Amino acid sequence: MNEIDEFLRANKPAVHDDPTFLLETRRRLEAVEGIKAEVDRQRSRGRLALVFALAIGLAVGVLATAIAFLYPMDAASAGQGLWDSIRLFLTTWKQYLLLPVAILAIAFGLVLSRGSRSAVRL
Amino acid sequence: MTQERFISLVRAEQEPLRRFLLALCCGDAALADDIAQDALVRAYVASGSFLGLSKFSTWLFRIAYNCYIDHCRKAKPEQTSVDDALEIPAAESSDSAFRYQQLYRAMDRLPEKEKASISLFYFEDRSIKEIAAILGIPQGTVKYHLSMGRTHLKQHIQL
Repeated sequence: MNEIDEFLRANKPAVHDDPTFLLETRRRLEAVEGIKAEVDRQRSRGRLALVFALAIGLAVGVLATAIAFLYPMDAASAGQGLWDSIRLFLTTWKQYLLLPVAILAIAFGLVLSRGSRSAVRL
Repeated sequence: MTQERFISLVRAEQEPLRRFLLALCCGDAALADDIAQDALVRAYVASGSFLGLSKFSTWLFRIAYNCYIDHCRKAKPEQTSVDDALEIPAAESSDSAFRYQQLYRAMDRLPEKEKASISLFYFEDRSIKEIAAILGIPQGTVKYHLSMGRTHLKQHIQL
């Protein structure tokens, strides 16, 4: 085995001195930094959209509750026509009808932020 | 780890790293450098996870070896022959060029773990412990691969 040991030690692969190697490494690392910065930017944009959607949802919810309490509907004073029936239905159930709007706004915000994250991943 | 710190660490390791990959790629310098660049980018991205539990070079060589294995898995269908790919240094005499050719041809016939063990032990002067850390195998297995590698090389190299 000594012969093969000597052969291997005497014939180490020779690497050419390449000054462009580190320059290329530096260029690639700069590109990585650029991608990292873009990912961070997208993440903060997603977070902002989420906060915005939550704020809108909260405001809509508060507004809906306030309207419901400030303008209570007197069922006895409502007319008997179709239009009046619709108005009565909407007025009676408005807080429950506006709730899905608020939920949709929040869901939209969540989808928006998730969508921008997956776009970055691609 | 800052980019400048990383570059300064890589500057000291680039020659051994490229030589290790050159041996694994059986003399294909362009491919070896390409894998080395890929490994350096991966190492930089993961530099936050380097806790200093091992030497930086051991950690870097492990990443480079994994990159090489990934490349082998991807490139299996379109393998080129060693004769097409190998690059003998122009300054070498015909005698040493022949020896390199012989060495790379013989290395090309070795299984990956044997090739890596031989390269690290003989060309990079790494200890068995370090080789085990780089390849992610027990020290006894490294010794086995070295022994088998030597036996296989002896069959293919005319001494």
